[in-house]
Amino acid sequence: MWAQVINTAIGIWLMAAPAVLGYGGAAALNDRIAGPIVATFAAVAVTEATRGARLVNLPIGLWMVVAPWALGGPTTAVLNGMVVGGLLVGFASIRGRIRERFGGGWVALFRADTGWARLPEHE
Amino acid sequence: MPRDPDIPPGWSYNPASWAQRLPIVAAAILGFAIAGYLSAFQFGWIGSVWEPFFGDGSREILDSKISRLLPIPDAALGALGYLADAVAGLIGGRRRWRTMPWIVVSFGILVGPLGAVSVALVILQPTMFGEWCTLCLATAAISVVMIGPAMDEVLASCQYLRRVYDRGGPFWGAFWGLSAGGAIRPEVEFQGGSR
Repeated sequence: MWAQVINTAIGIWLMAAPAVLGYGGAAALNDRIAGPIVATFAAVAVTEATRGARLVNLPIGLWMVVAPWALGGPTTAVLNGMVVGGLLVGFASIRGRIRERFGGGWVALFRADTGWARLPEHE
Repeated sequence: MPRDPDIPPGWSYNPASWAQRLPIVAAAILGFAIAGYLSAFQFGWIGSVWEPFFGDGSREILDSKISRLLPIPDAALGALGYLADAVAGLIGGRRRWRTMPWIVVSFGILVGPLGAVSVALVILQPTMFGEWCTLCLATAAISVVMIGPAMDEVLASCQYLRRVYDRGGPFWGAFWGLSAGGAIRPEVEFQGGSR
């Protein structure tokens, strides 16, 4: 849970970073597009039943590492992208503790042999 | 302690309980209030809008061309969305994941796109107009925070419909809450989760 709260904060930071660190151009545009998307999926993944949404931030984090190089930003944008991208990948990888049970979860919708069907009363 | 029979089989809690739903409804009502205030500005009923951080940002965003793409201003559309969320969150009792899947699924469908549209508008603010709007960001944050907590109930309803389908029961009858899932007798449903 905390990993996803941190990634939500990182997404919000990305929205502010171009203004705070003072860079514009393609790198800033990239951060302003990625920021809200990162924050959204991380915030949705805070809830246990939708924790899987965190995985969307894995490819976005990888992209953030290479984006400032590819898009050609100033040194601050490159450093910010690498640090932020690394943190995103790290925290998106953390599943965290799942306390509740969800009847087999979302995969149960696609596989008849999970969750309810496997409960002893029905074998 | 006897198990609460309203809990879906294989679940450790009831996602349709009031403790689960009322916070989402409260968030929707707050979103409705803020979006309603912003649309009052867009309709011209009030002359200014509260903006503590971004100077003329809110005014520029709320008066932008994108906000007028549809017949009614975008904040008014958002307010209607939040109102629909609140109503869909309130309809039905604490067994509604089983007794009225259609309203639970509608609730999920309403919450999802409202969040998606909000995020799209948040991306457009700085990229197209170079401005931010504090209250627009606030409503977007509310709509995003609602998504996760709303989805567990949708999952419970979809799992129930899958069970009805697997047992050869009347899928649409169960979806509309017209039959109790046919082949799945309620007492079997309950035992199924009493592990």
